[in-house]
Amino acid sequence: MKEQSTDPTRRGFLDVFIGICSAIMGAFVAIPGLMYLWPAAKGGAGEEVEVKGAKNLSAGESNILQVKGKAVLVVRTNSGFEAYSAICPHLGCLVKWEGVKREFLCPCHAAVFDSKGQVLSGPSPGPLSPYKVKEVGEKVFVSAV
Amino acid sequence: MNAPGWMQRYLNSRYNMEVANTFVDKQMHKRLPPHTGWLHIFGSLSLLLFISQTITGILLLIYYRPTPDEAHESIKYITTQAHFGWLYRQVHAWGATLMILGLTLHMIRTYFMGSYKKPRELTWITGVMIFVLTTVFGFTGYLLPWNQIAFWATTVGTESAAKVPYIGGWLQYSLRGGDAVTGETLSRFFVVHVIILPWVLTGLIAVHLFLMRATNLATMERVGEEKKTPEECGIPFFPVHVAKEGVIAVLLIAVLVTLSVLSPWEIGLPADPLNTPPHIKPEWYFLPSYQLLKYFQGPYGAFMGIIACSVPFGLLLLWPMLDRGKERHPRKRPLAVGLGLIGLIGALSLGYLGHVSGLEKSYFGARYHFSEKGWPTRVADDAPPADNGGH
Repeated sequence: MKEQSTDPTRRGFLDVFIGICSAIMGAFVAIPGLMYLWPAAKGGAGEEVEVKGAKNLSAGESNILQVKGKAVLVVRTNSGFEAYSAICPHLGCLVKWEGVKREFLCPCHAAVFDSKGQVLSGPSPGPLSPYKVKEVGEKVFVSAV
Repeated sequence: MNAPGWMQRYLNSRYNMEVANTFVDKQMHKRLPPHTGWLHIFGSLSLLLFISQTITGILLLIYYRPTPDEAHESIKYITTQAHFGWLYRQVHAWGATLMILGLTLHMIRTYFMGSYKKPRELTWITGVMIFVLTTVFGFTGYLLPWNQIAFWATTVGTESAAKVPYIGGWLQYSLRGGDAVTGETLSRFFVVHVIILPWVLTGLIAVHLFLMRATNLATMERVGEEKKTPEECGIPFFPVHVAKEGVIAVLLIAVLVTLSVLSPWEIGLPADPLNTPPHIKPEWYFLPSYQLLKYFQGPYGAFMGIIACSVPFGLLLLWPMLDRGKERHPRKRPLAVGLGLIGLIGALSLGYLGHVSGLEKSYFGARYHFSEKGWPTRVADDAPPADNGGH
């Protein structure tokens, strides 16, 4: 009976070589495909959005707008303007500003936040993120912190 | 069942049709186990619904436009202008719900009759995969009308994906095609709903049917002791079982049309990304998971909730490997049957609590408000009625 050789054979080498080449070729095809699926970022980092009709808001009133595609609530306080993310950290519904109670309320699962965006009650795992507010004359601008 | 004579002659003169004829004959006249009855039609029912979904889906595609500006308008056009468009849209929407119901009943039957045991483990596993993919079908299709409920249910659903540890943010960003639900999300869901899932599901159904035919339907005998059904005892697939399926097909069409006429799905208001309507809830088949997630709070709550929601599906998928007992009869499998019943009652209870949570409901003349976790509180008789947001 012929003893089987443990040395690499030409066929074995070719099998491994073809396997490695196929994997490299596969990666060349797959990587651009996966990158294509990854969404390209939109909007600049420091994008500032003007709050339309900001000066017409009375103290305790709010306005909602989008900054880089994300909803932001701008609230007029006695001392100026404050802005917080309107996206509830629980499951992404938009919170509403309750001017009388001075609280943010999520209509989906009843999370409640105080006027500084801190959790008062409900299922939210964290506070509402603050946004930067800049007043230039009669105009008010909001941008991400 | 044979092809017309002229067609047979045409084919026979060109191809060796014997192999194909023998295969078709064998499949058509296959003998099914004697206990095969009406409980065994849920699989065929689901298949019929899949065919109906494919046909109505193709018809809807003719007028549907998958962009935020046009999606809602095109659904309006289908419903109000296109000839019989209202019917195809309703049959498609109701068909999705009935398909999931049919698959659920099919799985319940298979589970309690122990039909998933050797040698049918892979048939069961492909079945669970079909069920899960069908719910994904429902989830992706739900967004396409681009109305308020669809938009916010998708926002909440994709937000849940972000709670998956390590890859959550990446998963959510990829699903949405960005930070929020936008036109990019609609395009992605559209592609998955009309191109990817139909083909993947068609392949899985083909494998499932092949495996089912290869091992025949399970009898109630112990694993390894199944006897081949004798010709004189078995139920012929054609015409006896096929006739039952015919009855079911006719009833199904009647039910679909009746539901479409008597309980039509609303078009709803167009999606408004700056206004969340109250009491957003997912479709009924996601309600148990939706409710279960609420009981897990705190920094690791969402993570634990996702694990709790995933465990039942993992168990279902691996169940044939976990339950290796030889008995199939429900009376001889108290543990499996008990666990199955607990799972069913648990899912139904969570689903009901999910349905009533955050709403006010009346029972036996008394009004109750259900908290988000589903705990009821009696409402004073003279209190004004709460806004249930159409629920």
